[in-house]
Amino acid sequence: MTHTLTQQTVLDTRDALPAFPQVVLQILNTLDDPDASLSLLTRQVETDAVIAARVLSLCNRAATQGPGRGPVDDVFTALQLVGMARVREVAMTIQLGDFLKDFVPGKNMAGFWSHSLACAVCGLELAHYTQAEVGADTSLITCLLHDVGQLWLLRFAPDGLQAAKEMAVRDDVEIDVAERAVFGVDHGTVGAWLAAAWGLSAGICKGIQHHHQPEPGLPEPLVAVAHVSEVLSHALNLSPLRHNRVRGISAAACARLDLDWGEDSQSLFGRIDARSRHAFAPYPQSDDDTMG
Amino acid sequence: MRTRTRYLPIEATAEGMVLAEAVKDRYQRTLLPSGSALTLENLQQLQAHEVEFICVTFVDERSPEEIATHAAATARTVVDIFQSADMTQPAVAALFNQVLMYRSA
Repeated sequence: MTHTLTQQTVLDTRDALPAFPQVVLQILNTLDDPDASLSLLTRQVETDAVIAARVLSLCNRAATQGPGRGPVDDVFTALQLVGMARVREVAMTIQLGDFLKDFVPGKNMAGFWSHSLACAVCGLELAHYTQAEVGADTSLITCLLHDVGQLWLLRFAPDGLQAAKEMAVRDDVEIDVAERAVFGVDHGTVGAWLAAAWGLSAGICKGIQHHHQPEPGLPEPLVAVAHVSEVLSHALNLSPLRHNRVRGISAAACARLDLDWGEDSQSLFGRIDARSRHAFAPYPQSDDDTMG
Repeated sequence: MRTRTRYLPIEATAEGMVLAEAVKDRYQRTLLPSGSALTLENLQQLQAHEVEFICVTFVDERSPEEIATHAAATARTVVDIFQSADMTQPAVAALFNQVLMYRSA
């Protein structure tokens, strides 16, 4: 072991990191609130000009397709037209995309983001597919952030991360195994420490922590969602900027989500595949500086 | 005439394709029933409802040689992705088989 990492070491760097987007926390906090209204989400969206512009753009793209509709220029009307679930999804994806893009200054994060987005698409579809009680919004956040610990290692322990990458290739082991040999912990644990410090729920933190080795984190469904989404994003070759590889999948995680990989998988794959192509459409395809 | 049934992102669909599954909105109300032929008008309506993808059947205009070439190439890709996987694990083998079937279709 060359660089033993502790939780305190990781948390001591928080001031150097970009601020976690408060809109994401506010939206998550209102999910379980039956009184959370359209007005509240409108206020949350209006606090961020980029999100507000994107929501209005979405809405007006739709509005121009309908007979007799004029352009919409207020967020409240846009929310009514596009729907709260879609707006929450857009708002959180934009915010977390910007957050992750700024995490490691000077680095191109295109490949990292494409993998995170691919996992998020899998997570959203799995949330719809499974009978397990798992929300689409928490699945989205967990999957978008599942590798944030890898960004922390890239920024604050690049030499150790490089050693882990070389060990993973040399010894033919998964990256999390190599990271534990080098740091004593893997990027899942580092990400979970950060997520807890940002105020994210225990379920999301568990999902991030155990996405490579889910068994210790089950039966939390977000653990199963994060793990299966990670594997499916590789299996379906969703991220064109990554060298996708599948080494295994946890039978226990599959069982937690009612997945037996029978013929109904074809429909699930089709939905994931089509949705990911739709999701990737706005993003340029170029390689990056993060690991595959 | 050979046909294919695929989920496609809405921007990749075209007039003449036939819905293989009903399209529903966020409230699970049917927007278009299964079997509907897509027209420019109903495609615009689907976009207006923020539908991201649909399941359609369409004429497969590929030649048998093109289909065979495509199947072989996708099989190579899937095998490459799973080359380090432990196929003795039933869940891994089942996932591999389903992905191979999906990509070869």
